[in-house]
Amino acid sequence: MSVNVKIPTPLRTLTAGKGEVEVEAATVEEAFQKLNAEYSGLGDRIFDESGQVRRFINVFVNEDNIKDKDNLATAIRSGDTISILPSIAGGC
Amino acid sequence: MLRINQSVLEEIQAHMRETYPHECCGLIIGGVEGEARVAATSRRCGNLNTERAADRYELDPKDMLAAQRELDGGPWDIIGIYHSHPDHPSRPSQTDLNHAWPGWSYMIGSVDKGVIASVQSWELDPAGAKFEEETLDVES
Repeated sequence: MSVNVKIPTPLRTLTAGKGEVEVEAATVEEAFQKLNAEYSGLGDRIFDESGQVRRFINVFVNEDNIKDKDNLATAIRSGDTISILPSIAGGC
Repeated sequence: MLRINQSVLEEIQAHMRETYPHECCGLIIGGVEGEARVAATSRRCGNLNTERAADRYELDPKDMLAAQRELDGGPWDIIGIYHSHPDHPSRPSQTDLNHAWPGWSYMIGSVDKGVIASVQSWELDPAGAKFEEETLDVES
């Protein structure tokens, strides 16, 4: 399945400045693995040591957070958009 | 440098005053011109940390997603984040640093008893180890 992956500004140094990349995959995990193979270092920013999405990263497939679906096993269809969104937080 | 029109800054400050004594958060939207990030507009976002809203914020990712969707294909992008510090200085805390990302401006407003006391803008240093204050160029 051909899907678009939206890359947020903080990670674009790893994708040669691209804000959007296309990948062929059947699941979110497969999409990220292929992206990491093409853009070295991207996987380290997305995955933790256990292979799960880092706590400070949100991943959406279209309008759905993958945490509300099947996490990395979430299936994707042709034309879907995967959005990588850094978690934004802080405080006094 | 973050360059921002007075009217956009006032939008942000209004959000900060309205949400006092809680922290507010939002997106700064615009473009990059040379070494400067230039704000065109702002977008209020929800704070998911309702339990500790007095001193913590967690920007609703759905608001960020919606903003990004609207900006796709257009001339602007998310160039920064703003949030308020109720009754605290407009300097980044360790909590702010722990959650910061490179490439964005981080505007912080100190709201002292409901009144904007100061607004400063910050960015991560190249090593990502600490915040450095950047020039906040306000255009009238």
